[in-house]
Amino acid sequence: MDKSSSQRLPPLKRNWWLKHRFFKLYMLREATVLPLVFFTLCLLAGMVALLQGAESWQGWIAFMGSPIVLLLNLLALAASLYHAATFFVLFPRVMPIRIAGHSLPDQVIVAGQWAGVVVVALLFFWLLGRG
Amino acid sequence: MSTDQITAKRVSTDNTSANNISTNHTKTKHISVKRYLPDSSTETFWQEYDLPVDDSTSLLDALNHIKEQLDSTLSYRWSCRMAICGSCGVMVNGIPKLGCKTFLRDYEGDIRIEPLAHFPVQRDLVVDMAIFLEHLAAVKPYLIDDNPVKPYDPNAPETYRQTPEQLERYKQFANCINCGLCYSACPQFGLNQEFLGPAALTLAHRYNLDSRDSGKKERMAELNRHDGVWSCTFVGFCSKVCPKNVDPAAAVNQGKVEAAKHTLIALFKG
Ligand code: SF4
Ligand code: FES
Repeated sequence: MDKSSSQRLPPLKRNWWLKHRFFKLYMLREATVLPLVFFTLCLLAGMVALLQGAESWQGWIAFMGSPIVLLLNLLALAASLYHAATFFVLFPRVMPIRIAGHSLPDQVIVAGQWAGVVVVALLFFWLLGRG
Repeated sequence: MSTDQITAKRVSTDNTSANNISTNHTKTKHISVKRYLPDSSTETFWQEYDLPVDDSTSLLDALNHIKEQLDSTLSYRWSCRMAICGSCGVMVNGIPKLGCKTFLRDYEGDIRIEPLAHFPVQRDLVVDMAIFLEHLAAVKPYLIDDNPVKPYDPNAPETYRQTPEQLERYKQFANCINCGLCYSACPQFGLNQEFLGPAALTLAHRYNLDSRDSGKKERMAELNRHDGVWSCTFVGFCSKVCPKNVDPAAAVNQGKVEAAKHTLIALFKG
């Protein structure tokens, strides 16, 4: 296609998302990745500590228990739940599930996803309880 | 309702009449319109108008009132005044809206009218939509049937058949009126005008889902690339502003699933 056939505007400025509440909520959704990165780094540090031996493992446990780290990880939990909530609502729109020619209502799919979260959480706590 | 009541309603002129169900409370509202008159200046400016409105006054009615009574130099587009032609899109307080489907009764305080965002402005509220039309055309938005079941016979023309279930699959995406509001809502289109954008990708998906069509492969060349579906980050504002509930964001992201499948299949086929 002839790219020069119509006029193009220059790209938006970096602060485009400050214009609306809707865009700010979108940026918040995208920013939930930041505390999650912190959590992932914590886990990675834990693996390294485990490899290095008992002493650094104890150090890592103490680090994880410190109030600021706990707080950041709570934030990561809240962020991932928020992200999950936004994602679960979008999911049925992207992957409409059709059974026998009829699409499943969105609410059913959203509820199903939350049920999945609960099942995984219960499984996790059960494993933790045994260990 | 008896004939007497109807007559009573017709002749009643005061709003206090118990029979009068119309809510004809005329008020004066203030609107600001962003003007651009390239013949006299390259600068845009805000112009203020006071107009009488009642509960049924649409923004398009208001613009018509300005044009006819207050200021004939104002330029804007419209045609059907019933949310079908898609030509009356403007920004109302920063949100893309159809003028004929927006009612001033829903606005308290400031009402700021601007031309649709992300399109070059030609004059006042009139924008150049050429790029939008190019993006629409790029996805081949028509039935492609390269391999018809039977060759076409002009003496006994066969119509395409489709079951209600087959129609249901794409119907929502076929309701687009090409108003372009979703392009003004889409920051990705604002950031990169080569992005095919919500309506064009939706239209492509609409034809891909159509049981009478076999052009999906051809359209994938346009969809499955950076300026196709992959520029979308599911901001989702397009679907919020769409006046016909088309849900372009859903269509674009279903398109991503299709594009991913297409890539995988191509990989295995070698
Ligand atoms: S998808 Fe909706 S907002 Fe976009 S052009 Fe079509 S009708 Fe307008
Ligand atoms: S005038 Fe046709 S859509 Fe508004």
